[in-house]
Amino acid sequence: MIEVADLWFTYPEGTIALRGVSLRIGDGESIAIMGENGAGKTTLVKHFNGLLKPQKGTVLIDGVDTREVSVAKLAKKVGLVFQNPDHQLFSSTVEEEVMFALKNLGFTSEEIKERTNWVLKFLDLEKYRERSPLSLSGGERKRVALASVLCVKPKILVLDEPTIGQDAKQKRKLGELLKKYQEEGNTVIVVTHDVEFASKYFKRIVVMAKGKVIADGPPNKVLTNPTILNESSLTPPQVAILSYEIAKKINNFPKDIVLFNDLLQEVITRVKR
Amino acid sequence: MSYTMFSAFEFKRKDTYIHNLDPRTKMFMTLIFMTVALLFTSIVPLLITFIATLIPVLLAKSVKEWLSSLKGTTMLLVFILVINSFVRDLNFAVAMVLRLIVLITAFSAFFLTTHPDDLAQALIQMKVPFDFAFALSMATRYVPTLAREAQTIMDAQMSRGLELQRGGLTQKIRNLIPLIIPLIVNSVRRAMSIAESLESRAFGAIKKRTYLYQLKLTKGDFLFLCFLIMYFVTMIYLKFYFPFTTWMEWKLPL
Ligand SMILES: Nc1ncnc2c1ncn2[C@@H]1O[C@H](COP(=O)(O)OP(=O)(O)OP(=O)(O)O)[C@@H](O)[C@H]1O
Ligand SMILES: [Mg+2]
Repeated sequence: MIEVADLWFTYPEGTIALRGVSLRIGDGESIAIMGENGAGKTTLVKHFNGLLKPQKGTVLIDGVDTREVSVAKLAKKVGLVFQNPDHQLFSSTVEEEVMFALKNLGFTSEEIKERTNWVLKFLDLEKYRERSPLSLSGGERKRVALASVLCVKPKILVLDEPTIGQDAKQKRKLGELLKKYQEEGNTVIVVTHDVEFASKYFKRIVVMAKGKVIADGPPNKVLTNPTILNESSLTPPQVAILSYEIAKKINNFPKDIVLFNDLLQEVITRVKR
Repeated sequence: MSYTMFSAFEFKRKDTYIHNLDPRTKMFMTLIFMTVALLFTSIVPLLITFIATLIPVLLAKSVKEWLSSLKGTTMLLVFILVINSFVRDLNFAVAMVLRLIVLITAFSAFFLTTHPDDLAQALIQMKVPFDFAFALSMATRYVPTLAREAQTIMDAQMSRGLELQRGGLTQKIRNLIPLIIPLIVNSVRRAMSIAESLESRAFGAIKKRTYLYQLKLTKGDFLFLCFLIMYFVTMIYLKFYFPFTTWMEWKLPL
C-alpha cells in the first residue's frame, strides 16, 4: 500500500513540482496517472521508491516512511521503470542487463537464473538473450528496460510513459502483460498520455495538473468529464466522443462509455429492441 | 548534488550592469583576478582580492548562484585546507583556500553573466576561427544538459538496486560503470545527431560569414576597465615595490 499525504516538493532551482498531493493506492490496484507536461507526474513517482524524499508531508510504503529506508531497500518492493531506456542500458548482453538488479539486490544464483528465464519469457525477449541491448530497436530497448526491473518481481510496479515509441501490437501486448501481472496480485501504476491505453487497461485514473491531483476515479467518470479534460490538456478517448455525440441525438443513451466493447454492446441491444 | 555545482556556472538571463558588459571586458576582469590571485600567497592581499571579486557578483545580483557554486566545492576547499596545513602551515592553507575561492568567484562571475552566444561572438571578434568559437559555445551550452542526464541515469540505476557507496575501493570504482557507459553512449549519440542537424542546415557552406550582431565597447565598459586597471596597478605596486609592509604579511594569531 502506498500512502501519500500532503506531499510538497521543490527542485533546487525553485520549481515547485508538487503542491500538496494526497493519494492512497491499495494493494493490487491498477492505476494510470495522467496530466499535462510538467504536471509533476514523474516527480511524484520518484517519491514511491525513495529517489526523492518528501520535503513536506509523507510517503509511506506498507506503513514505512520512505525517508527512513534506502532506495536499494525499497527497490525490492517498488520497481520503477524510467521513460528513456538509454538512461540505464549498459551491459553487453540482454541477459546480463536483466541480471544486474538481481545481483545488486542479493538474490541467490539459482533465483537469479530462474527469474531471468521467467522475465525473458514473460516479455518475449528470449531470442535477444545474447544480443547487445544497444543494438536493439527503440521499442525493444524499452522492453529490455522493463525486463531489467520486472525481474525483481516487485509488489508495486511503476512505469513512466511505457507506450512511447511502441507500435500498436506491442502496445496491446504491453497492456495485456501489465494486466496479467496485476491480476497476479501486484499493484501496477503507469504514467501515460495515452488515453486509449489508460482507459482500456486501467481501472483507476489519477489526473494531475500544476502539482496537484485534480481528479481520481474510474476511466468512464474521469475521461468523459470536460472540465477535467480541459484543465489537464487531455483529449477524450474516441469511443467517449462517439458515445457523447450519440447521446446528444438519442434520448437516454449513456454518454460516459469509454470502451469499444461496451459501446458496441449498447448499440446492439438498442438495435435489437 | 553534482547538478547544483554545474548549475552555478550556468548563464542566467538578468538585466544588470554586469550582464550588459561586453564579454571581452568580463574576460579581462577574470584574467586580472586570476593573475592577482596567483601572484600572492598571504592572507591579506588575497582577502582584498576576494572582496574585489565580490563586487561584480553583487552588482550582477547573483549572490545565490555564486554561493551554490561555492557549496559544490566545499569538499575540495576542506581538502586543500587540510593538506596544506599539514605540508606547510595554517596561514598558507587559509591563503590557498582564499585563492581558490577567488578563482571560483572570478570564473562564476564570468559564466553566470555571459550568454554562450555572446562569448562565441567575442571570440570571433578576437580573431578566433568560427569553428572553434562555435564548438566552445556549444560545449558550455551542453554542460547543464549533461549534468541533468547524469542525475537521471543515477536515479535509474539506483532504482535497480545500485549502491554507489558499497564495497571497497575497487568495488566503488566498478559501481561507476553503469553510470559512465550510458552517459558516454548518449553523449556520442547526441553529438552525432547534432552534427547531422548542423549539416542539414548547411553548416560551413559559406567560408566567409557575416554576423547579425557586432559587439561594441560602451562607456560602461570603459568605466569598468578603468577600475580594473587601477586595482591591478595597485596590487602590482604592493607586490613589487612595497613587499615588506607588515600589514600585508599579517598572520593568524595562533
Ligand atoms: N531534475 C529537475 N530539476 C529541476 N526541475 C525539474 C527537474 N525535473 C522536473 N523539473 C520541473 O518540475 C516540474 C514537474 O516535472 P515532472 O517531470 O514531474 O513533470 P511530468 O508531469 O512528468 O511531465 P511530462 O509529462 O513532461 O513527463 C516541471 O516544471 C519541470 O520543469
Ligand atoms: Mg514525466
